[in-house]
Amino acid sequence: MEMKKLLNDSKKLASQYTTWVTFVGLLLLLSVLTKGNALRWNSIRNLLIAESVRSFAALGVGMIIITKGIDLSIGYVVCLTASVAASFAQNPDYASAIYAGQSFPLIVPVVAAVAAGGLFGLFNGYLIAYGKLPPFIATLGSMSIAKGLQLIYTKAAVVGSLNQNFKNISQGSVGPIPNLIIYVIIAAFIVWVVLRHTRQGTNFYAIGGNAQAARVSGINVERELMMVYTYAGILYGIAGTLLASRLGLANSLTANGMELDAIAAVTVGGVSQSGGVGSVSGMMVGVFTMGLINYGMSFLGVDSYYQQLVKGFIIIVAVYFDMKKYARRS
Amino acid sequence: MKKLVAVLLVLALLGTAVFAQGSSEAKSDKVKIGALIRNLNEQFVKDYADNLRKLAAEKGVDLNLQDAQGDVARQLDQLNTLITQGYKYFVIIPQDTSATEQMAQQIKAAGGGAAFSNIQPSVAALKVGKDFYLASSPELVAGQYQAQIIDEYFAKNPEKAPGKVLNMLYLLGQLGHPAQISREAGLLDTLKSLGYTVNLIARDTADWSPDKAQEKMDTWLAAHRGKFNIVVAQNDGMALGAVESLITNGLVDNDPSDGTILTFPVIGIDATADALNSMDQNKLYATVLQDSVGQSSTAFELAYAMATKGSATGMTAWGIAPASQVISEEPANDPAVIAQCYLVPFKPVTKANYKDLM
Repeated sequence: MEMKKLLNDSKKLASQYTTWVTFVGLLLLLSVLTKGNALRWNSIRNLLIAESVRSFAALGVGMIIITKGIDLSIGYVVCLTASVAASFAQNPDYASAIYAGQSFPLIVPVVAAVAAGGLFGLFNGYLIAYGKLPPFIATLGSMSIAKGLQLIYTKAAVVGSLNQNFKNISQGSVGPIPNLIIYVIIAAFIVWVVLRHTRQGTNFYAIGGNAQAARVSGINVERELMMVYTYAGILYGIAGTLLASRLGLANSLTANGMELDAIAAVTVGGVSQSGGVGSVSGMMVGVFTMGLINYGMSFLGVDSYYQQLVKGFIIIVAVYFDMKKYARRS
Repeated sequence: MKKLVAVLLVLALLGTAVFAQGSSEAKSDKVKIGALIRNLNEQFVKDYADNLRKLAAEKGVDLNLQDAQGDVARQLDQLNTLITQGYKYFVIIPQDTSATEQMAQQIKAAGGGAAFSNIQPSVAALKVGKDFYLASSPELVAGQYQAQIIDEYFAKNPEKAPGKVLNMLYLLGQLGHPAQISREAGLLDTLKSLGYTVNLIARDTADWSPDKAQEKMDTWLAAHRGKFNIVVAQNDGMALGAVESLITNGLVDNDPSDGTILTFPVIGIDATADALNSMDQNKLYATVLQDSVGQSSTAFELAYAMATKGSATGMTAWGIAPASQVISEEPANDPAVIAQCYLVPFKPVTKANYKDLM
């Protein structure tokens, strides 16, 4: 009897914390396979750094998916914002610099990139909220616009030779803790506060759960939708800045495919495509679960072709169970 | 829901079956060399990687080869991973020149060294320490050979370029890429010094990709038909895309006596197997060999020497001695690092010699 109850309880626990269980399971598996090597601080630090920029994208698209939206423009918007940031941080003596001969204070690349990201988010939000375009189509369009703008702005060239101060934004660390990890913690905390402790956050969930009902209960659905895409855009702007700073360059390939990584991560983290469900902790665990899979396979020297295969299966399996869970509920 | 966990774990376990061999090979007594390769989807890069694997097997080296899939961030992550796993000596095809200094610094901090191929490291990357090497071919030379091939063709067929005027369609690699810049400079400067007037009827990037090149050519042929007499591409992939476009657009004279059945000669760089095949069918006119075996063997021997003897300074690798004279191309233009540069020669590949490579 006791045993059965225990089993039931643990089942319940497992279903409630699927994403956590998966994460811990994978972590244990990897540590066994690598005889503990993968759990050393250096390895964990590598993993955290590798996933930090994606975390920003995931937090942004996670909020959007909670409102039952989607954003396909992430990769190219991050690419654009990274290029914008990089262009204002090039060494002035670099002959092929976009603004050759000029140097800007450190704040300029950051503000420019965040503004570019925010504007793109606002544009997406406007199309979706007021233009009534389906998010899939609106962001598909803006994805191509972002790509075009990036190519025009950079003339398709690599934006390289960035100054050390700018690179230190991402490459620096406080004691043993890399800056990037600190930024992620701050961003996750802010998004958590917005989602859980503001009226607006509650509205996001309400809109995702049932937009009609939300409207009837007095929520300004259009305004809130526009805000959520703008917030996401700002996060992509930060992601672009950090990525350019980390790599010391930006080019037209930077962040390509990041939308898929971010969407997959938050989905694995339990943010439901049916809207109205998801948490910051889930998003972050999702990001690090996908990261762990990437990192683990790379650590174990798995052929890159197989890595893609395994990642694809994991995404499909996660969404399959997610859909089943909510199909049963309704 | 526990099913999800179960399935994921089973999947992960299945995965491990695939890669268990990989990790069991990693014995500590073996010489360990890491290979960071920018994108295995490109033919030259794949040939380079295959030769590395072959050399590693011959020498009993534990080679951990990572594919960055065209992503600088992924390449830096992979470097971190390998350093954590105790790899100190690397063979690298960087994704981007701008990231090489950072990579070199990380490797130096781990007490190791590296040899860079194909995509040039920056001068600053080689200045990080004497254990950082260039094992690559100067891109200028590839462009110069293309110019010589063009000169030979029009010397034999002067009626095709009256007054030594070349009206060129030029397909470029990724803009700002060191190979794009240097190959173009080598080509245009040499043609000029050979007495040609070059009009670039169309000049644009196709990002090294055959399908983008084909699309671009289709558009150009609609716009500039009859206004050009030569097609040059900065790699074979794009050259073959251009060949396809010329064929589908009917620009074929079916007369192979000038070396190609196309109305205009198309010239590439790399000498991939596909390109040689196309030459054999009298489609592609000529190419320039970028020696994947030469570059990878040189880089591997340097890394192997560092891993086994602690240093590779001054050694001869794959029959190539360190350069002694500066050239005009980075990073071999700086006397301070010239002794760290191993210049693997390019080779023109024409009708006269292509069969030797097949």
